[in-house]
Amino acid sequence: MNAIARDVRYAFRSLLKAKGFTLVALVTLALGIGGTTAIFSIVDGVVLRPLPYNDSQRILRLVRISARGEEASFSAADYRDLKKDATNLSSVAGYRSDIVDLTGRGEPVRIIGMQTTAGFFDVFDAPPLRGRTYHEATDKPGAAVAVIGEAIWRQQFGGADSVIGSQVRLNGTPTEIIGVVPEWFRHPGKSDAWMLSPLDVPTSPFSLDASGNREVQYFTAVARVDRRKSLVEAREQLKSIGARLADEFAKTNAGEALDGRPLADSMVADVRTALFVLMGAVGFVLLIACANVAGLLVARGASRRRELAVRTALGAGRGRLMQQLLTESLVLAAAGGALGLLVANWALDLLVSVAPENLPRLDEVALDWRVALFTFAATIVVGVLFGLTPAMQASRPELNADLKDGGRTGTARTGARNVMVVAQVALALVLLIGAGLMLTSFSRLRAVDPGFRTTELITVELMLPLARYDESAQRRFYMGVLERLQANPLTAQSAMLFPFPFGGGNAQAGFQVIGQPEKPPAEKTVAELNSISPGYLQTAGLRLIAGRDFAATDGPDSPPVALVNEAALKEFGGKNPIGEQVDLGSPVTVVGIVSDARRRSLDAPPRPAVYLPYSQFVLPYMGAMVRTDKSAAATASAVKAAVAQLDPDLPVGDVKSIEQIIDESTGQPRFRSFLITSFAILALLLAAVGVYGLISFTVTQRIPEIGVRLALGANPWQVFSLVIGQGLRLAVMGVVLGLGAAVLATRLLRGMLFNTSATDPLIYASLALLLLTMAGVACYVPARRAMRVDPMRALRSE
Amino acid sequence: MITLNSIEKSYRHGLSQTFVLRRVNAEIKQGDFVSIMGPSGAGKSTLLHILGMHDSAWTGEYWLFDDPIHQLSAKDRMRVQKQHVGFVFQSYHLLDNLTVYENIDLPLSYRDVKKSEREGMVADILDRFNIVGKKDLFPNQLSGGQQQLVAIARAVVAKPTLILADEPTGNLHTDQGKEIMELFRRLNEAGTTIVQVTHSQANAAYGRRVINLKDGWIVDEN
Repeated sequence: MNAIARDVRYAFRSLLKAKGFTLVALVTLALGIGGTTAIFSIVDGVVLRPLPYNDSQRILRLVRISARGEEASFSAADYRDLKKDATNLSSVAGYRSDIVDLTGRGEPVRIIGMQTTAGFFDVFDAPPLRGRTYHEATDKPGAAVAVIGEAIWRQQFGGADSVIGSQVRLNGTPTEIIGVVPEWFRHPGKSDAWMLSPLDVPTSPFSLDASGNREVQYFTAVARVDRRKSLVEAREQLKSIGARLADEFAKTNAGEALDGRPLADSMVADVRTALFVLMGAVGFVLLIACANVAGLLVARGASRRRELAVRTALGAGRGRLMQQLLTESLVLAAAGGALGLLVANWALDLLVSVAPENLPRLDEVALDWRVALFTFAATIVVGVLFGLTPAMQASRPELNADLKDGGRTGTARTGARNVMVVAQVALALVLLIGAGLMLTSFSRLRAVDPGFRTTELITVELMLPLARYDESAQRRFYMGVLERLQANPLTAQSAMLFPFPFGGGNAQAGFQVIGQPEKPPAEKTVAELNSISPGYLQTAGLRLIAGRDFAATDGPDSPPVALVNEAALKEFGGKNPIGEQVDLGSPVTVVGIVSDARRRSLDAPPRPAVYLPYSQFVLPYMGAMVRTDKSAAATASAVKAAVAQLDPDLPVGDVKSIEQIIDESTGQPRFRSFLITSFAILALLLAAVGVYGLISFTVTQRIPEIGVRLALGANPWQVFSLVIGQGLRLAVMGVVLGLGAAVLATRLLRGMLFNTSATDPLIYASLALLLLTMAGVACYVPARRAMRVDPMRALRSE
Repeated sequence: MITLNSIEKSYRHGLSQTFVLRRVNAEIKQGDFVSIMGPSGAGKSTLLHILGMHDSAWTGEYWLFDDPIHQLSAKDRMRVQKQHVGFVFQSYHLLDNLTVYENIDLPLSYRDVKKSEREGMVADILDRFNIVGKKDLFPNQLSGGQQQLVAIARAVVAKPTLILADEPTGNLHTDQGKEIMELFRRLNEAGTTIVQVTHSQANAAYGRRVINLKDGWIVDEN
């Protein structure tokens, strides 16, 4: 213990004495450890940390897998059957999100609500902050009760206890607030309030009969596995229920399956791989930092050979020397780790601010004891990792020689440093290539033509509370708003639509051209449904290829009509679609063909789409699209004024430009590209420092030799190329290794690349060249120094 | 105390072999004060480092008391070295980062002597060498003579039976050199065996025996 304390003291003293070395090593380590810690805190918060509910690993998200292999929502009938038969689940709940207008307390406020069945809080076993939550055993469907979130409680109710038992109007329905749940309880998404459904299932948002219809699927289901049963047993039972339903209701359920996924996994399934790739990338940066510091330590070890030889002569065994050298490494790592925590704190703020909003569980990301523990472990590993090789090498002094030459002019032991530099260059190239691929992919993604004109296009959400707006009221409202907008010169070019491109909304239906052979369920075409007003095509910039646009004459009582896009044409078996009928649950007549547009994301090619006139297919989730060269704020005011004339109590939803929406939809690839590019730049700089450090050190060691060469007639440029050649040889070795490693490592990126091959030779070659250029630049300064060696002085010092 | 039988050391350069020491036979008794002399390249320092067990690449037999050094493992050599040998270098080789006190304490810490015991031993040596006032100074704050004094203090603190000194006055001016040699004489009179490498006849005169080396051979012994 005493010896360790002494070694720590000596280590501090020795590090303080070598200020330049210590500073470079600390900065390198702080960047490496800090970056790794920051990314780990995101990985931990998003992927690794258990959800904050009691026994959260027993919560399953129930999934219905359609005959096409896609995850789909639940119908009321399937849910009821599942709930009845799934005895391995202690509680089951269904829910769907709803836009809720909170009124009855001054200004109407729009909040994100969740309409759930009574078992919701049985599944999410979380203690309320105030009052109580509702449960299946105590609260029967029909009771108008709601639980609100802490944020809304504080903002709207001033955090008063009197809120419990008070009445508010949610979407016009008088509702009693029975409890407040803490801020961390936000499932799903960012809900503000949870309302007990009046039925044993969430109510349907469509004006279709949902209760017995297995084709009307509109809500999500979750469940808690019974304590006496395992997850495997629960999932097996779900699968067997799914198989039974598929048999029993073959007309609607053939080929479908049921399953349950651990909730935490299902929440982060989309980002898990990307986050682990980023963790790997920042791990590379840490390795490069380690190699860099190890290189510095080897160099330092070479200049400390006399000291170590003296220690050996005084009786220090190899183990004792290694202990001391490793202590120094660990002290250095600990200081680097402490600085790394500061860097991580700063970097985490930056990361969270640039992270896409749809990154799940982002609000759970924090620098806490788990992250501190990780940093501590990383520090120890890093300390041993970069300290071990130099310690092993330095603890084997050549006693006689080292004592004689005093370690001042001895031949450099550069072998280990060479290996470090080659490794750094290789790792840096892997990262650079990863970044190059991601950036290329991202730029190609952003260059995709979505099929409509994205400039000067503003959208305004105009969702309607179902409680106050039945179908005809919805139609009247949207038509009234559009009429007013088109009458205003500022918003003259406007339209109504659902859903917004790249927005969260979605509606789809089976697509069967009447008269064409019917496909089996697994191959059945599903078309995206769009509800639009006349004028939408011009506003969005879609082309009418054939037929006609909708007109005012396409009213609710006129024969149902539709437009189809180009992607849907293949369904017509080569016939002209105009005048053909399509079965979307009920028949509609195709009156026009429009150009393709991407609706869900830039990377998803256009799918068959059907456009229906909003007069015939209205949904309470529509919005206005306005083409204008005025600001979003001015547009929003005009829309608000139009809405207020029709319904003063109705808040207007989000106002966004289409460019903003597209930006948000590409948030995750942009985030990944930004991070991996940052890491690659850092890696490039660290590798350059590594190359510079080695070549600079070697030049110092070789000054006498260079002096002799110059004295014997070598010209300075020969010396220059000697030094540059040494550096570039190592860089080329690193590049060759790096190219091989990149081919393997970038396989992990394949799923994240858009229109970009993971082995794109142009990217590989250009980045290899960039790295070699950087290595050349790093060698240039010491090479110039070598050219200027004065042979007389060099030889005198020898 | 020391018996050397046919000690040889050589380097290979391709097919040729260069000998540094050839068939060195010598006997050193406990309490001896031996000077090894000879021209540069004669193998003096090499022989001293073999005696100090800093070098293990040689052939022949080397007995230190009853220990056959030539047969011992590296670990056992280290044990014997710690038990018996103290080393003094021409260029002092004090550790720059350590104070005088810490430099002297170092060999004891490598011998796992308890802290309380070490404190007593270091204090005793500081007192004997009259350098108590310098215990908190770093080597670069001392003169060459003072540094060598500390180096000798460091060599004797663990109470070695054998002190090996490699040109201990080589970097000192005459007066300082004399002081150091007087110190060696006193240590020898107190029972410590001393083997020094020197070029100086005057320094050799402090000893009782001289071994002359030339081209790796012992050419004269008196």
